[in-house]
Amino acid sequence: MAEATLDGGKKSDAFVLTPEKLRRQRIARFFGEGFLLLVASFVAIVVLFIFYFVAVDAIPFFQQRGFVEFFSSTNWYPADEPGEFGALAIIYGSGMVTIGSALIAVPLGISAAICLSDVLPFSIRQYAKPVIEMLAAIPSVAYGFFALVIFAPLLQNYGGPILMWAWWLIAGPFVILAVIVVSDLLTSGDKGGANRETMRFIVTAVLGVLAVLFLYWVGKTLNAIQILSGTNALNVSLILSFMALPTIVSVSEDSLQAVGRELREGSYALGATRAETIVKTVLPAASSGILAAVILGIMRAIGETMVVWMASGNSSHIPDPWYNYLDSIRTLTATIAGDMGEADQVTGSARYHVLFAMGLLLLVFSFISNLVSERIVVRQRKILAGE
Amino acid sequence: MDLGTRKILDRSFTAVGVTSILLMAMALLVVIVPIFSNGIGAIFFKGTIEHRKLQYNEFRKGNPDVLQQQITETDSYRNNAFSIVEAFEAEMEGMEPGEKKKEYASQYTSVRKILAHLLGPLPGDMEPILLRYQYGATRWEKAEEALHELMFVTKWDYSDPTKMATQYFVPRADEFAGTALADLFPYMENNLEKMLLPEQTFYWGFITERSLDAHIFGGIWAEIQGTFFLAVGAMLFAFPLGVIAAIYFTEYAKDNFFTSILRSANSTLAGVPSIVFGLFGLAFFINTMKVSESKSVLAGSLTLAIMILPTIIRAAEEAILAVPKTYKEASLGLGSTKWRTIVTVILPAALPGIITGGIISLGRAAGETAPIIFTAAVSVGATIGLADVFNSPTPALSWNIYNLASEHEAANEIRHVQYGMVLALISIVLLLNLSAILLRARISQKLKG
Amino acid sequence: MQMTAEEREVNKVAAKSGANREIFLPPERERVKDGGKPHVSAKNFSIFYGNFEAVKKVNADILSKYVTAIIGPSGCGKSTFLRAINRMNDLIPSCYTTGTLMFDGEDVYGRYTDEVQLRKKIGMVFQKPNPFPKSIFDNIAYGPRLHGVKDKKMLEEVVEKSLRKAALWDEVKDRLDRNALGLSGGQQQRLCVARTLAVEPEILLLDEPTSALDPKATAKIEDLIEELRGSYTILIVTHNMQQASRVSDYTMFYYEGDLVEYAPTKQLFTNPRDQVTEDYITGRFS
Repeated sequence: MAEATLDGGKKSDAFVLTPEKLRRQRIARFFGEGFLLLVASFVAIVVLFIFYFVAVDAIPFFQQRGFVEFFSSTNWYPADEPGEFGALAIIYGSGMVTIGSALIAVPLGISAAICLSDVLPFSIRQYAKPVIEMLAAIPSVAYGFFALVIFAPLLQNYGGPILMWAWWLIAGPFVILAVIVVSDLLTSGDKGGANRETMRFIVTAVLGVLAVLFLYWVGKTLNAIQILSGTNALNVSLILSFMALPTIVSVSEDSLQAVGRELREGSYALGATRAETIVKTVLPAASSGILAAVILGIMRAIGETMVVWMASGNSSHIPDPWYNYLDSIRTLTATIAGDMGEADQVTGSARYHVLFAMGLLLLVFSFISNLVSERIVVRQRKILAGE
Repeated sequence: MDLGTRKILDRSFTAVGVTSILLMAMALLVVIVPIFSNGIGAIFFKGTIEHRKLQYNEFRKGNPDVLQQQITETDSYRNNAFSIVEAFEAEMEGMEPGEKKKEYASQYTSVRKILAHLLGPLPGDMEPILLRYQYGATRWEKAEEALHELMFVTKWDYSDPTKMATQYFVPRADEFAGTALADLFPYMENNLEKMLLPEQTFYWGFITERSLDAHIFGGIWAEIQGTFFLAVGAMLFAFPLGVIAAIYFTEYAKDNFFTSILRSANSTLAGVPSIVFGLFGLAFFINTMKVSESKSVLAGSLTLAIMILPTIIRAAEEAILAVPKTYKEASLGLGSTKWRTIVTVILPAALPGIITGGIISLGRAAGETAPIIFTAAVSVGATIGLADVFNSPTPALSWNIYNLASEHEAANEIRHVQYGMVLALISIVLLLNLSAILLRARISQKLKG
Repeated sequence: MQMTAEEREVNKVAAKSGANREIFLPPERERVKDGGKPHVSAKNFSIFYGNFEAVKKVNADILSKYVTAIIGPSGCGKSTFLRAINRMNDLIPSCYTTGTLMFDGEDVYGRYTDEVQLRKKIGMVFQKPNPFPKSIFDNIAYGPRLHGVKDKKMLEEVVEKSLRKAALWDEVKDRLDRNALGLSGGQQQRLCVARTLAVEPEILLLDEPTSALDPKATAKIEDLIEELRGSYTILIVTHNMQQASRVSDYTMFYYEGDLVEYAPTKQLFTNPRDQVTEDYITGRFS
């Protein structure tokens, strides 16, 4: 073959290197990979820095004021001279909206995830996913604006009727379902043919009337409620639950998908309905992944700033009674955001450092929950892989 | 249990799932629809002659000849109103001092205030310093509200102590019955349109103009530009870092303890509450590193950058892992080095996926508020130039939405501006996300062949 | 079998370079010029995945410019052996080797060996056609560009030459700028062969190159192998025994990591020495 070779048969063609060349290659590779590693470690360095710099500004607060007041007093008067820094009510407020939003988002999110992974045909799922992504993409300040400008006045003016209708629409179907199931169970002992049908009819009718009365009575009570301020824990919890939903849905769905078809087919083959298959077989297998999803969703809710700052009412007291979601509250995030404007004029004072103490509290909480959820996911993966 | 009951349970189970999906879609609609329908009002509205005056005086927009002609036209009607007012003032002069006069005087003060609100400064008023008092109602629906306020006095009924007080209206004309001012009310009601000449207005300047007098008038360009600077700045830092880190994680990282620490750091960073990023930005970039004297675009961008870094890394990792292994084998089989394989084969194939992640992160950086509160955002500020990003703060859509809605002295008066801003922000973010979704759909289609 | 003078000559060379078995050349009319020297020699060569020994102490010489087929049931280590020759197994973290594997008289796994340069000399075509998502031209030019050819004219020359060698030129010459993924499976696979030829390797490793193709495309690839025989040392892993008997001069039979039999193809298929080989080629198991 007389054609030109690529490098004219030069020595560089040899695949065995001289020691000199090998050394040079190794050094180049060392620095190259070292650079990549450095960049990849950047994230870890940032995490360390965040902990360090937030802690450094938080510690002086605890040195000056100790721990007891911060965690046990509800007197939050940072602007006074001398100030009072009892954050209990604020921590309570954070917890309250987090639990409130979890109560709404967790059942909704899990059933939506089940629906996406097991119920809906693929063609519809394709459209449902972007909806969830959009829900996640809307900036928090837009949700906050919605909560403050649109939802809060609605709640204030039509709070009672809104609560009543929500109760009827949500609880109604479940109560009716419960009537059907309970009456079936109550009469299941009697296998006596025609007699049983009559019995069952009577039981269903009695329970049905009772249930309707119950629904009506609770609805009427709710209708009579006057909401004094639309910016309250209920408003915030509801909006936060929207914001936590996308996380819960997508992570739970991943976990449900990971369960695999064999398990489902095994259950169907034994004559289970879809609901039974999911509840008794799929959900237990996916439970740890779903738990991780819930933790991640809750983290999103507790760390959210703008919505609570705009729509929680920002009053630092424990609601009366303690479960009163129609009362205004104040959260850690909103306190940091709201008070820094005045506090950073007085860098070094307890008023400034207390906000970092709150930041540290949030940071530690998010770190722990993140670690826990990560562990859970890893464990589930191992179990499903049969290790 | 009965098979029938089991089937009912099964169906209701499905129904619960479908309902929850529908609820989510509805939540999206409930949030977006009012924002869209009201936000559009910032650009399309019935603008009065006052709006056109303002536009000409401040931005030299509009036809001065037509404007002058319209001003003359409206002035003839306005002068009638003013002469009624003058007549009443003369009448008041002549009144005997006493309770009656005092009440008239206080009522009359609010009438004058509303009139000035509608038509701009009245004859005899001092030339106001604040721009907001130099013009009347620029938007017709605001003018109509003011007219209602002029026509009626709002009163509260506290008669039933068990219930909340109810509102009721008393015609103002009744209070001034028998005086010269009584004529003013029917006259205003009948001729307001002729005094203000409302026209359907397409106010594109809302996007492109600066704000006037703390957003009472004008547009939101400064905020849009600030958001753009912050988000793009964050991407400039985070995108290259994120892609390189993703390359390390997918192609070089060995499966050991150190790598798992790095990965866990990544998810920790993803979970840090956004307000804590703000604290960190303040404590580190501004107070410790002193990248700028105080708040600046640079400090804000850096803070946002570390916030979006984990998202970018994850998206880039996924995109790189999705590149078929065969490409890599083919390239290595041809005698390519690992690094060249990554640069010439893997990255080009993963690029659409990486860009999708980048776009979504860009949207997130544009929409976040908490990290920039202490590091970059100011409530009122002029448009800044590119050279100023290193040392000056900027207004930004997200922050100013909060500020106008919660802290602005006339928050209720400028709802339309707030809605317009929210619409602008949501549009930017959703358009970015939509393009990411479409891009991804195209990628998956391409992979299917 | 009686050795000819030429074979004796070859064996003398082989013995010098460390070959450890007698080499039989094919019948006169099938011989190739300058061929038959040990090009790759394995000595006690084992490949491990972690603790699992996938290829066990192989001793064999691959003869230059001839086609050698590697057959055996799935998981017998045949692909692993093939990929070890140009060190593609380096991609698997847990994989390591013992013994020696010599190529051109140098140790493939030696301390000073640069696997990148090695792969340039030992080209590989994979099971599934894997063109890059680039134009046909860029696919072929990828290798030469890697190795420093920038001149447009020279690249065009290389592309044409390689495509002609791979018998694809006439089919694609008018659409060199089209995306290679638009070609049919058979064309894609020949493109991959052309892409490998463009870097001018000495050895061509074909890892079940026709398993993803229809019979027509398979025939074309087989014709191509016939065409390239005599210019390159070719190793082909195949599941298809007919294919092995059609295209190859020598055949290796692997079973559970052992090289059970290695002989001229005709001999292996007509007169296998080992019972396992016979069972396999007669279809008792697969």
